Amino acid sequence: MTRTAPVAPPRTPSAPAPGTAAVRRRSRARGRLSDAGYATLLAAPAAVVLLALVGWPLVKLVVDSLYTGSGLGDGRSFAGLDNYLTALTDPGIRAAAGRTLAYTVIVVTAELVLGLAVALLFHRLGPKARILQTLFLYPLMIAPVVAGLLWRFLMIDNVGIVNELLTRVGLLDNPGDVSWLSDPDLVLFSVALPDIWLTTSFMTLVLYAGLQAIPPDLYEAARLDGARGLRLLVSVTLPLLRPVIAVALIIRGVDAARAFDVILIQTDGGPQSASETLSLTIYKTMVSYNDPGTAAATSTLFMIVMMLVAMVAVLTIWRPGKES
Amino acid sequence: MSHLLAARIRTGLLWAAAVAVVALYAFPLGYLVLTSFKPAVDAIAVPPTVLPQRFSLDNYLTALQRPGVTASFVNSVSTAVIATLLSMALAIPAAWAITRYRSRTGRILMAGSLLVRMAPAVAVGIPLVTILGAVGLTDTPTGLALAQTTVALPLSIWLLASFFEGVPREIEEAALVDGCGRFTALRRVILPVVSGGVAVTAIFAFLASWNEFLFALLLTSVRAQTTPIAIANFQSQFGLDWGPMTALATLYSVPAVVLTLLLQRRIVAGLSLGAVKG
Repeated sequence: MTRTAPVAPPRTPSAPAPGTAAVRRRSRARGRLSDAGYATLLAAPAAVVLLALVGWPLVKLVVDSLYTGSGLGDGRSFAGLDNYLTALTDPGIRAAAGRTLAYTVIVVTAELVLGLAVALLFHRLGPKARILQTLFLYPLMIAPVVAGLLWRFLMIDNVGIVNELLTRVGLLDNPGDVSWLSDPDLVLFSVALPDIWLTTSFMTLVLYAGLQAIPPDLYEAARLDGARGLRLLVSVTLPLLRPVIAVALIIRGVDAARAFDVILIQTDGGPQSASETLSLTIYKTMVSYNDPGTAAATSTLFMIVMMLVAMVAVLTIWRPGKES
Repeated sequence: MSHLLAARIRTGLLWAAAVAVVALYAFPLGYLVLTSFKPAVDAIAVPPTVLPQRFSLDNYLTALQRPGVTASFVNSVSTAVIATLLSMALAIPAAWAITRYRSRTGRILMAGSLLVRMAPAVAVGIPLVTILGAVGLTDTPTGLALAQTTVALPLSIWLLASFFEGVPREIEEAALVDGCGRFTALRRVILPVVSGGVAVTAIFAFLASWNEFLFALLLTSVRAQTTPIAIANFQSQFGLDWGPMTALATLYSVPAVVLTLLLQRRIVAGLSLGAVKG
């Protein structure tokens, strides 16, 4: 630490406390960077990389959405807003948007209810339940592809262990009674299961952290007022957890709406597109139907809607800084 | 006395409930591992059994002998390492600039990272195919690592910023008085203080890349294929070849589980921070 960097000023006995105006003025006089300049220099590489790897592709996406025909060589021509018109009126894309919404609601609701229940349970049991908490975290580390294949394996008609176990406990008469992944009415729920399994732990963890931040004397006071059980949960716990719940809902909502790998692996969007969400539709429009214009227009609309919804959610539900 | 008994019974029931929930939750993973040790025929037996009748490593041998599988492991490791190193090299100075100097660039970067998180990966991935193709990086671990940096970098910036927030600025000032430059102070004094947070962030960046699928699907074909793609290809090429698939999936999960074990408690802290901060 004693080896000085080239930019360091020599240490003088009369040096005033660092951070004061005098030091700042002097360093500028020596041609050193100001704090703001230094901060910009530190942040610049990350900003440049994000602009190159995200900004540029997104600009290209919007430009591509104004053209028809396959990306390279001839056949590409300016189309104005035609692709957007297609994206907004195509029944397949509209249905996919509806399914994306339904899928997101299913996943997020299930995770919130299960996550809250488990978080309350762990909170009641306290630090002694640490081993259980750790075990509960493991699905978070598993690759979504592995989770998708695993659940497909668990739910295959007849051969899957899920139906076998349900039959053994008497909930089903025959393992072939429920076709989780090939019944169009059921498949959207079935493909949501791995996602719920993978990330309920996340919800639990966040809510558990939130529960621990609630001061115990608030419960004492409520108990003295005669509040018990469910009443305590509804009037004390939930209102205090509100900011935490809001953040978790926004994060999980955004992620669930973008779901791709877990569904692709399980059903590839089938049967009869019954589990095809927007990300899959966009991927197929691009790769299978080779229609980059429509794919780009659909992605652009998808992105705009996601950002608007998320921003409204952040401003109205989370309201950072407005509540203690 | 009866009060005490009632309380004991209630606590006992709560414990039973917690154990049941965790057992149910862990079952799919346990079943995956158990299946991987069954002989290939037993893995798809009707009706299925939970426990292996005979223990066998055949599935592992079959999986590892498939063409491209070992190469895919090498690709997964090199891609994840490049993406992690790149994200950390960029995120550490950026996060410090954001927390310590509260600069405008920093705030824009913070907001930008949040926006990136909301963009659907397909929207970024599809144009990236052409862009990386133009610079000759398609089907290379470096190209894929660059794409995965779009996920790992914003995450790293947010996580590191929350860890840096706990560093008192007096530490930097003391280092400056001792004659360090600001950059040397960051490297030699601040970083050691937050090394735990840096490690956790690096693990999250690594896992983000290790588990990533969509970019790998779009940007690699043969040479740079990662293991998630190899696992996914199993089912289309070989039909219901579940035994070797469970073996490969188990193998692929080992590094993630080991990394998590190593930094268990810190990871819990990191996850909750990441949740609250984005």
